[in-house]
Amino acid sequence: MHRWDFGPVWAHADLLLLGLWHTLQVTGTALAFGIPLGLALALARLSPRRLLRWPAGAVIEVFRTTPPLVQLFWFFFALPILIDVEMTPFVAAALTFSIQSAAFFAEVFRGGIVSVERGQWEAGRALGMTARQVMRRVVLPQAVKRMLPAFLERAIELMKTTTLVATISYADLLFQANEVAQKTFRPLEVFTVAALLYFVVIYGASLLAQAFERRLAVSGEGMQR
Amino acid sequence: MTYRWNFGPVWENADVLLRGAFGTLRLFAICALAGLLLGLLIGLARHSPRAWLRWPATAFVEFFRNTPVLVQILWFYFALPILAPFEISPLAAAALGISLNSAAFTAEIVRGGIASIDRGQWEAARALGMTGAQAMRRIVLPQALRRMLPALTNRGIEIFKMSTLASAVAYVELLQQGKLLASLNFNPIETYTVIAVIFFLCLLPLVQATYWLERRLGRADA
Repeated sequence: MHRWDFGPVWAHADLLLLGLWHTLQVTGTALAFGIPLGLALALARLSPRRLLRWPAGAVIEVFRTTPPLVQLFWFFFALPILIDVEMTPFVAAALTFSIQSAAFFAEVFRGGIVSVERGQWEAGRALGMTARQVMRRVVLPQAVKRMLPAFLERAIELMKTTTLVATISYADLLFQANEVAQKTFRPLEVFTVAALLYFVVIYGASLLAQAFERRLAVSGEGMQR
Repeated sequence: MTYRWNFGPVWENADVLLRGAFGTLRLFAICALAGLLLGLLIGLARHSPRAWLRWPATAFVEFFRNTPVLVQILWFYFALPILAPFEISPLAAAALGISLNSAAFTAEIVRGGIASIDRGQWEAARALGMTGAQAMRRIVLPQALRRMLPALTNRGIEIFKMSTLASAVAYVELLQQGKLLASLNFNPIETYTVIAVIFFLCLLPLVQATYWLERRLGRADA
């Protein structure tokens, strides 16, 4: 029978916490770039101009239907040969997850925008606004409110996906756990603690998201899913 | 700077990729089957009136939904062998991680599908003298399964994509073979591009089928 000993894990708690910090960093960066890019993609996909609609549709479909790990490898190993840049694991991860999450966020944005009743558009146009003004002043504010639940879910999904950066040696929580496990010969304890750390952070985030969703539902603005 | 693409070495090693594709399909088949069946059982358990069935099912779902699947795979590969008296192969670790993770997500789909069925259907079945289990099997589940279909095919797509994570424990699948080729021939661009295209082409019909199902069910329900 295995004797559990968490001592070596606590001795390296600083390494694990640093990893957790790096995980949050990648997630934050991907969100910061992914959300605006996702909005731009959604608007392009809904545009009446084919020149905008088709490329946006292609980007969204390609990034939604290929595995994120393949994308990450492509950006890390292949892209630096095509364009002459120094590719660090962090840049590759930020790039991949920004574009990948943008593709998913675009679909959330699109769903939200499409869910706003036609009458809102017509009323906006009748008041003399241009299509762009109606979008910015009338439709988007309502759409964003309805999208929030799907949005938070995507953000949480993104944090789970960032564990893939461990495979290109970026020192996130999973990578650090692997290092500590090899150093201490205590994989059982280290990986269990790492899994629990992820659980606490991600479950906490989902509880917050749920509480938020309930508040929206009470104010009558939530979207039925 | 212009790069001269050369797909020659990739085609010459097509058999290596083919072996990988076989590994991917095998893992996908195991995880899709195990994940969906286990998910159905756990989803039903979450709906059970018995607390000793409901609580463990809920704990399972929350735990596996709220930890990253790669962490689960590595846990099964590196940590479980210490507790278990037997070897854990890369295939077993990957299959366990991905199946249990998908089971948790599938259980939520099943729960949502069952909850979406009108109460009247239950009441009518009970009024006809069926037991709770009979009403579930004969009346509610068949209707719920139809509604869950698009979400379930989406799960299938996710499982296919997740299968690449098995390369982290050196299971022989497409991406793992791609890594091998790229490092042997020094041609990551062509190799990873081909891998991405293969995945895209395999999944595109599934994605289109899901869109089609969503549209059809949307119309039928309206």
